[in-house]
Amino acid sequence: MARWQFRPPVERTKHGYRINIDDREREVVGHLLEEMRSLLLGPSDHPALKRVFPAAYHQSQHAEHDAEYQRFMREELVASRLTGIDTVLAALSANPPLAESQVLALAQALNGVRLVLGTVLDVSEDDDPDELDPDDPLAAEHQLYGFLSWLLEWTVRALTPST
Amino acid sequence: MPVAPAPDVVERPTTDETVDPDRPWVVLVWNDPINLMSYVTFVLQKLFGYSLEKATELMLDVHHKGRAAVSNGSREKAELDVFRLHEHGLWATMQQDD
Repeated sequence: MARWQFRPPVERTKHGYRINIDDREREVVGHLLEEMRSLLLGPSDHPALKRVFPAAYHQSQHAEHDAEYQRFMREELVASRLTGIDTVLAALSANPPLAESQVLALAQALNGVRLVLGTVLDVSEDDDPDELDPDDPLAAEHQLYGFLSWLLEWTVRALTPST
Repeated sequence: MPVAPAPDVVERPTTDETVDPDRPWVVLVWNDPINLMSYVTFVLQKLFGYSLEKATELMLDVHHKGRAAVSNGSREKAELDVFRLHEHGLWATMQQDD
């Protein structure tokens, strides 16, 4: 009898990183990243982006500095996230082993979507991801959020040196 | 060495008393319910070269005390650190040292 063997969704091998998720899951990630891209290209004061673009200066006496930071750095943050999304979409569409920089982009991109979903869902630290209310109108989003957390956790684990 | 400021310094209008360019800035990471503990630890290691132990300690400070100072320096350096943390989705801000 063949022995069942667990393959982590993201794994570091001798030849680079492997993404072991099925086509349906790849499609879901790709779709979420496309949505993230549209959101980033839209108005930057969209409430769902609140956690993606936090204030740099939190004290009121430095409000002017923050306005300046937002003026100059917001565009760079958007550009950086868009580049990351392109990197991940290209990496997911092919299936050769990935380089560390591509897996890093994956971690950042997955985390970016989690920031948006987590903001929309208004998650709190007390939320139990295993307790999904099927009648919740946002049940699907909760499920996606849980899926992204799982995938990101494994991505970080693959990237973290084992020493 | 003279301690008293030169007269022209005294007469300069003080437009922004809260910002003394010489006082160092501190970069803070704040607790939020979204970012995974493992991810925060990883980002702190990657961006600042902290050991796993140090990064874990800072992450736990964020988690339990609500925030932790992760770097400091000139305003330019602090702003760049904040930017890199924002690039990675961490909730980071900066303030001048007391």
